[in-house]
Formats: sequence, C-alpha cells, structure tokens
Amino acid sequence: MKMIYKVTVERCIACGKCELACAFAHGSEGKPSKTRINIFKRGPELGTPVVCFQCDDAACAAACPTQALVRNEETGAIEMDRDRCILCRLCVAACPFGNMLWDEAYHLVQKCDLCGGDPKCVPFCPTHALEYVPCEEAPKRPEPLAWESGAKEMRAGS
Amino acid sequence: MVSLTINGKSVRAREGAYLLEAIRAAGFDVPTLCNHEALEPWGGCRLCLVDVTKAGWDGWKKMVVSCMFPVEEGLIVETHTPRVEETRRVVLDLLLARCPDAPLIQKMAAEHGIEQTSYERNPEPTDCILCGLCTRVCDHIGVSAISSVNRGSGREIAPPFNEAPPDCIGCLACAEICPTQCIPYKTSDYKRSIWGKDFEMLRCKTCGKAHITVMQAGYYAGKNGVPGSYFETCDACKRKVMAEQFAKLSSGARG
Repeated sequence: MKMIYKVTVERCIACGKCELACAFAHGSEGKPSKTRINIFKRGPELGTPVVCFQCDDAACAAACPTQALVRNEETGAIEMDRDRCILCRLCVAACPFGNMLWDEAYHLVQKCDLCGGDPKCVPFCPTHALEYVPCEEAPKRPEPLAWESGAKEMRAGS
Repeated sequence: MVSLTINGKSVRAREGAYLLEAIRAAGFDVPTLCNHEALEPWGGCRLCLVDVTKAGWDGWKKMVVSCMFPVEEGLIVETHTPRVEETRRVVLDLLLARCPDAPLIQKMAAEHGIEQTSYERNPEPTDCILCGLCTRVCDHIGVSAISSVNRGSGREIAPPFNEAPPDCIGCLACAEICPTQCIPYKTSDYKRSIWGKDFEMLRCKTCGKAHITVMQAGYYAGKNGVPGSYFETCDACKRKVMAEQFAKLSSGARG
C-alpha cells in the first residue's frame, strides 16, 4: 500500500460533488448507483464526508459467510468479489460505521473500493477535502486554504 | 502449475484448480447454471461439459463436467466439439420442457438454437431447474433448512415435511442465488416471510429500518463471535453518528 485516501473534514463545503462522482462512476447507462461516500451537513456550507475506512480488522469481512470481501494488498482497500457475494446483507448490518450500503436499484451491496486505486471522487473535490496521497504525507496537517485563513482572520477580528 | 491445452491454446493453471476455472482464465466460455464462485462445485446442470483427451489416448476422448474435473498435466480440452454441443442442446431441451416459462432457460435454449422443446411440455410448469444452488448456499451458511426431496420427476426443493422450516433464519440467500428467481418471499421493515415461515425483522433502534431478521442476527453473532450490538443500528444512522463524531473532533481541533 503506497497511497492513502485522506479526508480533511475541515475543508468540506458540502457541495456534494463527490457523491455525484461516485454515484455515476459506479452506475451504468446513466443510472446512478447508491453513493458510497456520504456528506452530512454540520452547518451552512460545512459538511462531513463519511466513507469506508478500509479497517484493518474489518467487521464486514469477518461477517461475510462466503469470503467475498477481500483486501487488495496493492491499494489497501477491501474489495467485494461480486461473483462470491450471496446478497445476505450481513456486511451491511455488521459495519460499525454504516459504510456498507444496500443499493436497491442495482440489488447489490455497494462498498468503497477506492476505485481500484484511482478514486473518482478525489478530482471532483474543489477544496481538496478528499485527497489520495502517498502514505508518508498522510499525517501532515494540510495547508489552510485561502478561504480558511480568510475565515480565521475574520473570526480573529470580530 | 500445470500445463494443458484448451481449444488449441497452451495455458498454465493452478494445481488443484478445476477445468472450468482454467477455461475461463484462458478466455473461453462454457455455459453453466449450477456453478457459483462461493460454493463447492456440484456438477448438477451438466452444461459445462467438455471433451478431454491426452496425447497417448489414441484419439479417444471422454466427456467430463469441467466444473468438477481437476486440471491434469498434458490434458487437451475442447469446449465446443459437435458432440459436446449436441449434449448441451439435449440438456437445455429437457430443461425447457421442464421449465417452459423460465426466461433464463428460454434465453439459453435460444442461444443454442432451441425455440420450442422437442419433448412433451411439463403439464405442471415450474421455474425450478433443480440446480441445487439454494440448498448448497443454505448448507454453506450452516443452516441446512431446505433440501431436495423425492426422486425422479417428483423431485423438488422443500423444507422438511413441507412445513415452516425451524432452522431457517430468513437470510434470503436461497432466493437471491436462485438463477430463475423462483423462490417466493416477502420482506419489509417489519416482517419477512419465506418457505411458509414468518420472521421478525431486526429494526434499527433509531429509525426503524431493517436489513436482516432477528434470527439472522442471533445466528451470525453466535457464529462469528461478534457482539449482538453490531446489528442494532442501521447503516444510515451509523453514518450519521460517525459524522457527528467527526464534527465534534474537527470543531475541537479548530477551537
């Protein structure tokens, strides 16, 4: 695993572009799938993206009776082998963070697989709240964006 | 690794693999109805038949079901010889006689040039092709609530004594895996019924949505050693809780 999916919650402006990118990247013929990343609003133009953590000791994989959830050692993501899935939805119930999703339209379970190492949501994020960065860069605190520093100045001035 | 020839193409396959896996890895396709990646091969539908021979066999060939035949060094495999195709046609013709209204069988038969069955049409049409996927997936989960009963033309899939199966946990795996979708069930956020048995759903304690039955949660919690609390909240509510946690963390960091 060389790259890591990094979410900087403070930067999210709840624009919903990641959700759209995800839904259309994994849908077919223009029919969107259930989005694997979800934004929860926590204020005006502030959001919290919630997406699969690709846990080390993953409850979804432990619960799966057919070993359909397997880690891709290259990307570090837990991927779903659709040919092995028997649609029992146990992973949906087992994920402690609610990141396994039942997609009624496609009648299957959706889970973030980092798009096989090229997450489609990342380039659509206008504030770089979502990034796909080399592992060693992940702990670095991101540089504040222009609007962030502006907001801080305003807050300091008031 | 084992070397073999498939339709004239030299390929290498994993030792202990079955022919079907090697055939598909080599880019060829054979039709199957009873095969599933997650389950042990069963050889029930007889559609994945192929001809195999070896250099020293003087041209003698035998027909095997590729899903259950292990790869062997030097094996020469042909997936679409006339006699293999003819056998597949007979199988599909018989299936079409048994299940004349099943769209999947109609489609597969049409792909093999059969529009109408040449046998007598089943007077009591069914969509069940007796592929055994439902019973095998039930065994795999460890429940074994249903099995095939009776013999010959009277064979069918049923719970014991045709009564509501006490072991069934209502996971729907049998209905979902059925290639002809012929196992009826009803499900809502309150109640699920399948095989004549009613199940109470495990409803989210916050919003009331449900994905699994109470029995299913109990069974899996016991089997996997996970706490029952894993199943108490639905995915959407869990995500909401996560988002609130993050919001708290991020506002603390900004402070």
